[in-house]
Amino acid sequence: MSKTHTVHLTTHDHKDISFDCREDEHLIEAAAKAKITLPSSCLEGNCGACHGTCQSGDYELKSHNKDALPTEQGGILMCRTYPKSDINIEVPSDMAHITSGPAAERTAEIVSLTDTGGGVRHLVLRILAGENGDMGPQFEPGQFMELEIPGTNVRRAYSLANAPNWEGTLEFLIRIQPGGQFSSWLNDKATTGDTLQIKGPEGAFVLQAGTLSARRFVAGGTGIAPMLSMLEQMADFQEANESRLYFGVNTEQDLFYLKELEELKGRLPNLTVVVCVWKPDNNWQGFTGSPVDAFEHDLKTDVEKGLSLEVYLCGPPGLVDATQEAAQKNGLSADSIHCERFLPA
Amino acid sequence: MFCYQCEQTARTDTSIGCNTERGNCGKDAQTSDLQDLLIYAVKGIAQYNVLARENGQADNEASAFILEAMFSTLTNVNFNAARFTTMLQQASSIRDRVKLAAGAKAANVEGPAAWVIPAEVGELLAQAEIAAVRAGEAEVGEDIIGLRAMILYGAKGVCAYAYHALMLEQQDDDVYAGIEKALSFLADNPTDVDALVGQALELGNVNLRVMEILDAGNKDKCGTPEPSQARVTPKAGKAILVSGHDMADLAELLKATEGKGVNVYTHGEMLPAHSYPELKKYDHLVGNYGTAWQNQQTEFADFPGPILMTSNCIIEPGPSYRQRIFTAGPVGWPGVRHIENHDFTTLIQAAKGTAGFAEDGEDKSITIGFGRDAVLGVAGTVVDAVKSGDIKHFFLVGGCDGADTGRNYYSDFVEQTPNDTVILTLGCAKYRFNDQDLGDIGGIPRLLDMGQCNDSYSAVQVAVALANAFECEVNDLPLSLVVSWFEQKAAAVLLTLLALNIKNIRLGPTLPAFITPAVLDVLVDAFDIKANTTPEADLEAILQKAS
Repeated sequence: MSKTHTVHLTTHDHKDISFDCREDEHLIEAAAKAKITLPSSCLEGNCGACHGTCQSGDYELKSHNKDALPTEQGGILMCRTYPKSDINIEVPSDMAHITSGPAAERTAEIVSLTDTGGGVRHLVLRILAGENGDMGPQFEPGQFMELEIPGTNVRRAYSLANAPNWEGTLEFLIRIQPGGQFSSWLNDKATTGDTLQIKGPEGAFVLQAGTLSARRFVAGGTGIAPMLSMLEQMADFQEANESRLYFGVNTEQDLFYLKELEELKGRLPNLTVVVCVWKPDNNWQGFTGSPVDAFEHDLKTDVEKGLSLEVYLCGPPGLVDATQEAAQKNGLSADSIHCERFLPA
Repeated sequence: MFCYQCEQTARTDTSIGCNTERGNCGKDAQTSDLQDLLIYAVKGIAQYNVLARENGQADNEASAFILEAMFSTLTNVNFNAARFTTMLQQASSIRDRVKLAAGAKAANVEGPAAWVIPAEVGELLAQAEIAAVRAGEAEVGEDIIGLRAMILYGAKGVCAYAYHALMLEQQDDDVYAGIEKALSFLADNPTDVDALVGQALELGNVNLRVMEILDAGNKDKCGTPEPSQARVTPKAGKAILVSGHDMADLAELLKATEGKGVNVYTHGEMLPAHSYPELKKYDHLVGNYGTAWQNQQTEFADFPGPILMTSNCIIEPGPSYRQRIFTAGPVGWPGVRHIENHDFTTLIQAAKGTAGFAEDGEDKSITIGFGRDAVLGVAGTVVDAVKSGDIKHFFLVGGCDGADTGRNYYSDFVEQTPNDTVILTLGCAKYRFNDQDLGDIGGIPRLLDMGQCNDSYSAVQVAVALANAFECEVNDLPLSLVVSWFEQKAAAVLLTLLALNIKNIRLGPTLPAFITPAVLDVLVDAFDIKANTTPEADLEAILQKAS
């Protein structure tokens, strides 16, 4: 019989919860037995959704994708972590996210599917009402859903791009990846009226409620989706935090959603949008470089002004790591940086 | 932060007040400091509006802003720091406007009126000390600070009630003048005990007028409360739950949901809605769900639809209902959707998007609606019953409820009252005993629910009418007041009772932390105010004295 240890979790909102975990089970499955739903997605050490930090105790961290795990001291992927003693873990989720039960599974219908340019599709789903007409749990801005290719067990996680609503409308921005299973289905077969299974909402990368800090959003490519959800909610709730969105792509041909961003600025007077192109044509009038470069450039001024900042990062691991490094180099605390990594499935 | 405005404030052997990163109510230090600063800013508006009023140039829009700002700082009303930074900037521009109306004398006004309100949050918070409740305590001592706090917290309650009245389209220049005089008085950092006590009682009188216009507003908008049955079990169907105190919000919601296939339930202090003809005429106002405010985290989690919080008391929304609770009026919680201008579109969508009740509960109801018209309608019978000895004593047991276990005092007290006594009740404290069947005396129910804490005017009017009928003073009636307090509305009502020279009030479950032993001595000397002991001892003392 495998030994059992106690896992002490401290959440992002500084609350404590414990559960038992055997040495032959990973933290996510042991937590589930205790009705604690830790953030996770692939359960194979590939996606980074279950990232946490071990503060003390012994554990075995099994094989995983190095891009999914930041290099900080004690960093773990909970789906690959097996305790060897009692351990203390910090998770970036609020208590509310891990005690609200397992993610719901629902059926949704494709309402529209449009090409936004830049090789990206704007997918709009509508949840089909349940028996009592209920639309299932509401998501928080920044969270993701898992979408299943009809007739298969293949699921992919995508961040929601719209504000929470009670009409059951879910919007996504999905880059068509050559050879990607979900994006191939989306590109080749999916059509309005199709139904698919969805699971969620999930994820702990959410807008911090009601803070007074200035907000900085750094997004690479479709990493802009959760930022849009957050900004849409800010507009909806009339939150007046001074905000700046750094949206980066590789080339001008990769740009998308610029018209929608302009429209969003109209509803959020305190929002500035900095569109960054890494390798533009000669006529490019905007920022040349990565969104990390643009963020770091402005950050120095923000810090000099003594602004209290809150940073949201979403994109490929390189972008997230570089932005985190720049933020911490300029004195921002780890608590004020919130991130989500996009990793190929 | 430092805050000791409510009954649940932190108390140890050596200290009082919440002074860590988060108060016992859940208010964080930043929000607490911003609330203090907002009060400081509205004191400045009041200073100028007192002068403007003298010039015949009173700015009643500024007065209305003072009501909302003060109400927002009550316990369990607004926890959203961002709303306070917005209101501070509004206060700045309103104060500039009122200063112009104040004329030449404005140039000589000092203190909050002259404070330069920073636009940047960090700079604002850096100045929190000037607005702290205990600022200057080292110089003037804790008794003076306590008396100032009693006026400030009483003024918050007065403003809250006046805001409710305003929502019912009732306002009064004398009320605005009285509130501004009190705030302006505080802005001068008064130190004279007699002047402080005098101002507190004057504010109590202002509150009596506020309660009168609030009573008139409720009647104008909703009709005269009448004895009614309120269903306390669910009906099958989509559902919205309305909590707080604001009947105007409920009236608008009932209109907006008419014919939409959504049932509306009351919660907590909204229960009396079922006794108002203009509200209960709606078939889809189907019942009351749950009990008093302190149970909301369980009750809201179990309710299968969205919740509208119209005023105090909100506490931290649990994860299972955080996405389906909405705030209105002065209420706020970070990350919770706020409804303005009675636009209930999203609330109704939420009702349709949630499950609602699958089936009817068993038929069960309670009797409510004994406002002063209903009670005085049987005044002759009541007077006869007293004269014949069938009714020996009246108790007014009411006020706020709360989570404190000491509040069982009130249910135990009511349970032990003799069968020849009548209990009048109001406020949410009644949930401790309003499901008890106490029987009747000659057809008059022994337990008479007079409504919300907002209906205190009704209780005062009944007491005055009985005193007239018996040709005596209120203090000579066989009537005892057993008041349960929690927050600042209760503080305002207490000042009103003292201003009316009502004596022998029993106050609990604990005395306010801002009432120092020396201040308590003053109140005991003047009004014989008492702290609760035990239900048995207090009942015995009351009835012994009465006999």
